[in-house]
Amino acid sequence: MEKPGLLPLLDARLPLTEEGVAEAARLAGVSLAQAWGVVRYYPRYGEVREGRYLVDDPVARARGIGSLLEGTVGTHPPLGLEALAPAYVRVEGEERWVEVGGRAEPFATFRLPFALGHGRKLLPPEPTDTLEAYRAQGGLRALEAARKGDLTPEALLKAVEEAGLLGRGGAAFPTHLKLRAVARGEAPRYLVANGDESEPGNFKDRFLLEHHPFLVLEGALLAGFAVGASRVYLYIREEFQAAIRGLKEAIGALEEAGLLLVPTEVFQSGGLYICGEETALLESMEGRRAEPRLKPPFPVEKGLWGRPTAVQNVETLAAIPRILEGLEAWRREEPKLFSISGDVAAPGLYELPLGTPLGEALRRAGGEPEGLKAVLLGGAAGVFTRDFAFPLRYRERLPLGAGAVVAFGEGVDLWAVLEGLAHFFQEESCGKCFPCPLGTTVQLALVQRRVRDARLVEDLASTLKGSLCGLGQSAYWAYRSLLEVEGAA
Amino acid sequence: MRLKVDGKEMEAREGALLLELVQVPTLCHHPHTETRGLCRLCLVEVDGRLSPACATEAREGMEVWSDTPGLRALRKTLLEWLLLTTDLSLAPELQALALALEAEPGRWGEVPGRKGREAIEDNPFFLRDYAKCVNCRRCVDACGDGIMGVYALTLTGRGLLAHPTTPLDRPLPETPCVFCGNCVQVCPTGALRPLTEV
Ligand code: SF4
Ligand code: SF4
Ligand code: SF4
Ligand code: FES
Repeated sequence: MEKPGLLPLLDARLPLTEEGVAEAARLAGVSLAQAWGVVRYYPRYGEVREGRYLVDDPVARARGIGSLLEGTVGTHPPLGLEALAPAYVRVEGEERWVEVGGRAEPFATFRLPFALGHGRKLLPPEPTDTLEAYRAQGGLRALEAARKGDLTPEALLKAVEEAGLLGRGGAAFPTHLKLRAVARGEAPRYLVANGDESEPGNFKDRFLLEHHPFLVLEGALLAGFAVGASRVYLYIREEFQAAIRGLKEAIGALEEAGLLLVPTEVFQSGGLYICGEETALLESMEGRRAEPRLKPPFPVEKGLWGRPTAVQNVETLAAIPRILEGLEAWRREEPKLFSISGDVAAPGLYELPLGTPLGEALRRAGGEPEGLKAVLLGGAAGVFTRDFAFPLRYRERLPLGAGAVVAFGEGVDLWAVLEGLAHFFQEESCGKCFPCPLGTTVQLALVQRRVRDARLVEDLASTLKGSLCGLGQSAYWAYRSLLEVEGAA
Repeated sequence: MRLKVDGKEMEAREGALLLELVQVPTLCHHPHTETRGLCRLCLVEVDGRLSPACATEAREGMEVWSDTPGLRALRKTLLEWLLLTTDLSLAPELQALALALEAEPGRWGEVPGRKGREAIEDNPFFLRDYAKCVNCRRCVDACGDGIMGVYALTLTGRGLLAHPTTPLDRPLPETPCVFCGNCVQVCPTGALRPLTEV
């Protein structure tokens, strides 16, 4: 059953008072205990201090966080601004601003510069933020075919299967299997587009949402149509205010054009890394602390409000209209977005065929692999590597994650970067299971002391592996990989 | 139903928890509160994946390992981390387990923890001493969906800072608490303990 969500009710009552919390709990039909647990979980319901914050991402850490922190009151979690780093966030009353290169812009209008995007299929060379622009570039054909009955759910699922599309959020699960499992379930069913991108080093979803909202929406509606969803939710990171506004406008334009095949709405995320984990995401939508659920049952059986739910990454959904446009072309050169930042001449978003060697990807962004100390591949849940011949593909030796590539030149202190990642995990651990909050705290202490004891790191790994969700399970990858990179150097 | 546990064929009834079939330590699991799957001390390897024995049902043809080198490292390390960060002085079972696993917490060096938390004495019946709390949630579940349905307890914070609290952080007498004592009963660490001996 759909009920009014607790989070939107609390959002409408910011800044919160005790009466406001009690009222939100009453309207949502939940206990005051549940509402208070929620208030004490999400940072935006706590005290947000005014002032200037450094966006703490791997690039800022590589530049030397000490001097960048001057004139700030602290750090802010990564915001997909790595290509523009160092970046700052300024909080003034209810307003928030992004500061890059000496210029400040409110969250409400700030978007990544369009010039950061380099591609063809998933990243059209012109912005497609109006219905006309999107249609002029060949968009909406699949959606129109679905409306007329020329494209059936089964044909759509078959095309996605033949394309071999794997989820682009990091888990690389076959998309058609997820969609089919939900389609088989009993109605009502839901489709959720996961736009909670918070992995350090990644900004592909942010860019897609900000500049190509119709592409994402067409993909989400097609997927929703394929599974017979009674509603499509766009779960978008709360900080991406301009994207949220653009998506709402795009939903309106599609509705006017009679193309909103499934009722669609935007849900503002809880604003934490863990909200990207699909079951934690669902918990936050249901008005609880975004803590991962025990699996099974999986969301495809029991998802939102216990109903079959497909949670799909934004880039995965954007791929669906492209696949339907031409399966052959898709399979010849399967495009994947890579967020490339750090020590390269032209940091930005690059659409490259899967299988492109890491070194070539770096050269596309004006980097010189020979001159690099290492690359962080995949983000915080990623690895340091010097294997520049490594083909950027799923199910290889190294994890691609969502496609983050952060390059570090000879002068960079990789332990300082690692400390940033360790700090990130410790801050973002939800604390539900035991190995993760304990292990990420221990890990930060070890990294700060620059401990290179392989036995200890192996025991750290064995224990974090037993965590409840992917956050804890991957928290040690970067640490262990840095020891490997150092050993090989 | 047949399955293989530590290399031996076994018979199990439909719906049996793996916990009934293997010898593994537990901490968070409590049948009355339905708390499970959090501490990960009871993890076993099921068909190559780590699964909590307290939250996994036996299935036909399963292959379960309960004592691999990886699992031993995990249990020992977890105990070490708990000892480092939490006051376990009133948890004799955990101390015995640490001894049995030959835990050496000192090898990790200094780690910030929760030992510095001050005890809360806000009612005449029991103390809430969260320096001893491992955040197993049994008390929260006991007060809520698990037993009472009263909802006088919830959680605050995230990560290692997370621990139980009351709605609006009020003293317990100002909450729906009926002082039934169920939370105290299920607390495995002495973090919740009676103020007067009965
Ligand atoms: S692994 Fe970390 S983030 Fe995931 S459930 Fe456990 S504590 Fe929460
Ligand atoms: S004593 Fe109070 S807090 Fe504890 S379980 Fe009973 S009602 Fe809940
Ligand atoms: S107070 Fe006791 S029962 Fe409650 S979470 Fe802490 S250790 Fe568990
Ligand atoms: S007893 Fe099974 S996870 Fe805690």
